[in-house]
Amino acid sequence: MSLAAAPTKPVSHRVLLMATCLCDAFFPEAAQATVQVLESAGCEVLFPQDQTCCGQPAFNSGDFSASRRVARHTETVFAGELPVIVPSGSCAAMHMHGNAIQFEREPDAARFDDLGRRTWELCDFLVHGLGLTSWPGSFPHRIALHHSCHTRGSGTRSAMQTLLESIDGLTLVPFAQEDQCCGFGGTFSVSFPHVSGSMGTLKLDHALKETPEFMTSADLSCLMHLSGLADRQNRPFKILHVAQILLASLPR
Amino acid sequence: MDGHPEEAMNRNDLFQKLRASAPASPEPYPDYDDAMLLSRTGHPTDLEASFRQQFTSINGYAFDSPGPLISLLRATANTRGYCDPALFPILGQPLADAGLEVSTLYHRSRYDDYQFGITRASGAIAETGTLILTDEQTSDRLAALSPWVHVAVLDPATIAPSIPEAIKRFGSSVNIIWVTGPSRTADVEGILIEGVHGPGVQVAYLSPVLSWTAPASPSF
Amino acid sequence: MSARQPIDQFAASLPGDRRSSVLGSCQAATSKRLTALADDFAHADDLRRLAARIKQHTLDHLDTYLEAATARLEEQGVKVHFASEAEEARSLIHQILAERGAKRIVKAKSMVTEEIHLNDYLIDRGLECLETDLGEFIIQIDGDIPSHIIRPITHKNRREIAQSFEREGLGAYNDDPEVITRRARVHLRDRYMKSQAGITGANFVCADSGRIVLVTNEGNSRFSMAPNPLHIAVVGIEKIIPRDRDLGVFLNLLARSATGQRLTVYTEFLRGPKAPGQPSGPEEMHVVFLDNGRSRILGSDCREILRCIRCGACQNVCPVYRQASGHAYRSTYGGPIGAVLTPLLAGDDFAAFADLPKASSLCGACREVCPVDIPIPDMLLKLRHQAHDAGIRSPGAPPMAPFAELATRPVIWRGAMTLSRAANLVPTQLLPVPALQSWLKLRTLPHWRGGEFRQWMATRKKP
Ligand code: SF4
Repeated sequence: MSLAAAPTKPVSHRVLLMATCLCDAFFPEAAQATVQVLESAGCEVLFPQDQTCCGQPAFNSGDFSASRRVARHTETVFAGELPVIVPSGSCAAMHMHGNAIQFEREPDAARFDDLGRRTWELCDFLVHGLGLTSWPGSFPHRIALHHSCHTRGSGTRSAMQTLLESIDGLTLVPFAQEDQCCGFGGTFSVSFPHVSGSMGTLKLDHALKETPEFMTSADLSCLMHLSGLADRQNRPFKILHVAQILLASLPR
Repeated sequence: MDGHPEEAMNRNDLFQKLRASAPASPEPYPDYDDAMLLSRTGHPTDLEASFRQQFTSINGYAFDSPGPLISLLRATANTRGYCDPALFPILGQPLADAGLEVSTLYHRSRYDDYQFGITRASGAIAETGTLILTDEQTSDRLAALSPWVHVAVLDPATIAPSIPEAIKRFGSSVNIIWVTGPSRTADVEGILIEGVHGPGVQVAYLSPVLSWTAPASPSF
Repeated sequence: MSARQPIDQFAASLPGDRRSSVLGSCQAATSKRLTALADDFAHADDLRRLAARIKQHTLDHLDTYLEAATARLEEQGVKVHFASEAEEARSLIHQILAERGAKRIVKAKSMVTEEIHLNDYLIDRGLECLETDLGEFIIQIDGDIPSHIIRPITHKNRREIAQSFEREGLGAYNDDPEVITRRARVHLRDRYMKSQAGITGANFVCADSGRIVLVTNEGNSRFSMAPNPLHIAVVGIEKIIPRDRDLGVFLNLLARSATGQRLTVYTEFLRGPKAPGQPSGPEEMHVVFLDNGRSRILGSDCREILRCIRCGACQNVCPVYRQASGHAYRSTYGGPIGAVLTPLLAGDDFAAFADLPKASSLCGACREVCPVDIPIPDMLLKLRHQAHDAGIRSPGAPPMAPFAELATRPVIWRGAMTLSRAANLVPTQLLPVPALQSWLKLRTLPHWRGGEFRQWMATRKKP
């Protein structure tokens, strides 16, 4: 039941990468950066070729039978004991929480409990799994950090803060209403265009007022939504996935 | 029960439904320590001082002699009012002596004539600056409610340190009301206005219970 | 796109000044709540979780606790009634009033009486039934409905209110909030004094003591229970808590979550009619316990929603509520709590409200502020699933079966990833996918780069 505490997660230097469908389709650099960041932290990164998507789009639209099919496929692809590392708080949350809802009354629920237990968002893994307390190198830029909604209450938020704050020259630029959603929400962005667009515009207003050079996040979905909006509105706005900052900061 | 047969049916029906929907693994009653309910101000060392501080911070006035109360009533042009007869000797009399009109009778038909009302508090909460009134010790609910200024006479010995402690002291009263500051609203554009239906000015008059004596005769 | 989500449409048609006032008041309430909790408690989240467990425990044993509360109340001379649905509750209340010849009724703010539309019912039967909470009074004279649990008129500005007061003969136009409040004070106290019965809700009922707890800031519930001899409290069955002691948990959370106060100004604990020597107050007290779908919800997989203590914090923090306002939700309860509770309470009418759970980006802000830690986003998902299973179509949402087909065939998936790069050659506005076109109206899409990462991964030299 939801009132219980979270189970402990496995740590290993051999990890499975779940690159996410978004990186697969649009953001290869973020997935590459994830691999390189993990390797620089001493990990061996395995990439199961048959991976597709966590199933979240169908899950969020209420079509659990479609999303369970996808989730079952994904569970098979990532079977075993190894930790599954995801450069996305949202896909990680699908494993850690979403599956529990849609498999509540399914006979194979236990397999998804196990997958959820093994899944880590990248920064959470670096800090709370591998025990890093800082990140080497420098990145002399002003960064607005967008905490994506699916990282609420997870270890990702403090982990990102810890890593980014430790980088030489990097300044985290606070902005108003940081805790508010960017308005993406998957299919929400297309079925509630007005509300979604207004939410995103508000987020842009607040962040751009502080003139950051980049906005970063654990989730490219939010960043894609915001940069797409900014682009349409002809407002200059640059995004980087957090893994890209970690990679860029590494001493060469 | 009133004995309407359909109501009895409803009752049985409902309880049956509730029993049927009880979950397989019900949540147990959680074990907790009242200490976790105490706020920043929930551990007062000096009860009276803490009460005064909290009470003042929510726009209440704390007095312990008639002088400042008389000045406040004069300054705000609230010069006619009611006093619980049992409190007349300690507070009604000094107010009357100072030229204010003090009645020990509350006539409902003249509710608008009472600009202040003096009644007894049964206790207080230091943590939040709350006054506690009970039906048994309030001479008239309306007298503590309809006037613009309510003066609650409070024995400092009855101040409870915290909310959990005040709950422990509920006792057998059929009606307890905690009053935390003046009546207020922010319904119109979020702007705070004090004194909606209840008093716009809340006064705590701290006075040890030993000084209270028998009711005096009414005046007006 | 032809069909649109009603809540999105409502939000789009909201006048700008109204939207900014809803947005502003919600932001202010959210930050007040945060400060009030963080300043006072080092571990406010522990308190929320404790409250959640106590409430869940009560719901899981509701038969026992409701029985205990009823027994205590009856011992104390309270007449206890049970109504299984709205119509029963309304006629029961009407009957109690009629039997005592009470025609002039004053009402303190209560969401549950809104839920059963009690006012209209009594007024239609010739009774005078006056809302006394300032906001609810204004709602009543305007024939409007509340748009927020705690701030019912958050959608109105002072000019509109001043016009209503002028129209109702409460004085010449004056939009000073202080003047408005004073005029309401004068008008309403006369009506209290002439009233013959008071109707309230209840915030909590303690099973061990039969204590009914009522909180208000204005003092209107107190005034509704002072000059007249009859008090009727209408109470949802989920309002029970086990012990007096637990009030320490809930009172600390309720006011802070609702308005950022440490305690609401008036917190009243009643165990029955007034004390024998007390000149003012009801000689007779009735409690009407209302089911109205709650026992059904208790048996569903959304039972946690009944933990709700109606603080409105989820409404304040919700980005959709902030954009759309409460009336967009077409029911007594708007925002996240309404998006869950309304379709559930609707029962057979579920389909009519099946769009409400869609009105969320699932951002989870509601759960984070909820004083009883209700997993609202989980319930939105379960209700979306319920709607999908019932075959209810949702405007604007793309079908998911083709996606599932693709995402379970890795070879085709990989092929599609690479081939779709061809889409970069076509102007995106020409692609005949409605969801894509909806996206593109407001945003651009990044260049399609499917398969690039896989290629890099396969061909690179490991360090
Ligand atoms: S759901 Fe939670 S936050 Fe929303 S009104 Fe109810 S108690 Fe408050």
